[in-house]
Amino acid sequence: MSENLLDINHLKTHFFSDEGVVRAVDGVSISIKKGETVGIVGESGCGKSVTSLSVMRLLKDTPGKIVDGTIEFDGKNLLDVSEGEMRAIRGNDIAMIFQEPMTSLNPVFKIGKQIQEAVELHLKYDKKKARQHVIDMLDSVGIPRANEIVDEYPHQLSGGMRQRVMIAMAMACKPKLLIADEPTTALDVTIQAQILELMKKLKEEEETAIMLITHDLGVVAEMCDRVVVMYAGKVVEEASVYDLFDNPQHPYTKGLLASVPKMRQNVKRLGSIQGNVPSPDDLPVGCKFAPRCPAAMTICWEKEPELEDHKQGRCRCWLYDSELVKEV
Amino acid sequence: MLKYFVKRVVGIIPILIIVSVLIFLFVHMIPGDPARLVAGPDASYQDIELVREQLGLNESLPSQYFSFVGNIFQGDLGTSLKTKRPVFDELATRFMPTFWLSVWSMAWAVLIGLLIGVISATNRNNWKDYLGMFGAVSGISLPSFWLGLMLIQLFSVKLGWFPTGGLDSWKSYVLPSLTLGAGVAAVIARFTRSSLMDILKEDYVRTGRAKGLRERKIVWDHSLKNALIPVVTMTGLQFGFLLGGSIVIETVFSWPGLGRLLIDSVSFRDYPVIQACMLLFALEFILINLVVDLLYGVMNPQIKYE
Repeated sequence: MSENLLDINHLKTHFFSDEGVVRAVDGVSISIKKGETVGIVGESGCGKSVTSLSVMRLLKDTPGKIVDGTIEFDGKNLLDVSEGEMRAIRGNDIAMIFQEPMTSLNPVFKIGKQIQEAVELHLKYDKKKARQHVIDMLDSVGIPRANEIVDEYPHQLSGGMRQRVMIAMAMACKPKLLIADEPTTALDVTIQAQILELMKKLKEEEETAIMLITHDLGVVAEMCDRVVVMYAGKVVEEASVYDLFDNPQHPYTKGLLASVPKMRQNVKRLGSIQGNVPSPDDLPVGCKFAPRCPAAMTICWEKEPELEDHKQGRCRCWLYDSELVKEV
Repeated sequence: MLKYFVKRVVGIIPILIIVSVLIFLFVHMIPGDPARLVAGPDASYQDIELVREQLGLNESLPSQYFSFVGNIFQGDLGTSLKTKRPVFDELATRFMPTFWLSVWSMAWAVLIGLLIGVISATNRNNWKDYLGMFGAVSGISLPSFWLGLMLIQLFSVKLGWFPTGGLDSWKSYVLPSLTLGAGVAAVIARFTRSSLMDILKEDYVRTGRAKGLRERKIVWDHSLKNALIPVVTMTGLQFGFLLGGSIVIETVFSWPGLGRLLIDSVSFRDYPVIQACMLLFALEFILINLVVDLLYGVMNPQIKYE
């Protein structure tokens, strides 16, 4: 266990509302080693963002509550530490980049101040040293004229530049773990590539582990060592990036891969997964994917499969169930 | 910024001209005969005509208007028909009590309003929020004369801490400014609450938390600075209304302010005083608007004044 930087065990984060309980994250286990990049993939609403917010314990302004599980980070269970200790970890050991660069920076503060705050707070630098550190950081994320931009306001920068600022902010205190929640989704394709390149470079320099949340398999292939596929609040498959792309196991993963256009492959129509993500307050009894699964069997409708280890990772599907396979 | 400022100040002139014409016309449409009032109830027809001649009321409306404006430029706002003192002196003695009362009221209102607004917004839908908003609704809906009388009853009559009315020392300010500030505080509290609740949902608030900032800093620094932008406009307008003087409060507390001056002048058909009061109110609003606009630029860096 000690080699893992982050160990999420049976995390359950539920949302409580007047209509009932929504099990947004329902028993998720994910581990990330030092310096490793793990992709978390899934459709909107599968619980990937909620998982990341749970790690940061940033569910305050949502109706969500962590009801069960542990989140071990660096040997500490983050769910047990006080709010004060958690604040010392946020932005310091674990930093986060969000999807929307346009709205993730405070419009009334200068960019420099916004990064400097975190630097002064966590690294305890004095004002002058902190400012120089901020300029160096802006420089390292490829912002031109960093010593001028530091005194500009967010609205004076483009989306790509703002995302670079967000990355500079996240990396400013040299975090051990960087959580990137769809960091490129809101950006132009050319800018996406630049941002991914930048994250890779920083990761290699600083040996930061990255938890990359995305629905873009291209980004996963580009960035990740290992991939976790989530569906309806649960992990359905986990494998190394090579195994997952070469030999996907779960029918859902197969469906996702079939829906990605490939080079040198002449297809008339891209594959798609039929149906929609089930409504979280009306989940099927058996396997949550059964209603959309082309390989659904009787048992899939009756009982939910467990997440089982198999030769190249983990998979939650009756097709690979050890006992069922033996019977056949 | 300076260019913008000069432009705005120059822009005030046409507004004042239009306002002065409107005021002049409105005042002359008030029914009643000032000459008869000045001459007294026993005056003969000839006496009234003589007074009318002296006051220039026989001249055509345009020439009355131009002499009115011309005198203003010479610093002469005319003479009160009632007290026979220069209108300027009348206004000056009445303006300062109203001004300081407004400042006191506003200080209370901003302090209490912001505090209640922030506490309510950060404790959404729990007892603190309900208590704060109950206070705010009470502040808006309690009639000010009633609140004033209750305060006098408690703090002046029963406890004897503050005078019942008039203006003698700083103590005289406490009760009327509390009464006047209650409504404004309530409006500020409600505005701050809704504005801050919207801001607290913003992505950059989450960014602040993800940085490891204290909740106190996130609310009072990062969020409030954004949330106050709409609150400032509203506060400016409220201050404008306060500067006009409150007839009810000034009556309840026998306050020597503009509100009572205006109401007395209206019942006496004291044209010069009415005109001067209205001009003053218009000027106050224009200046407050200018200050609010300039404050906007300071608070919101996305606004650039060209």
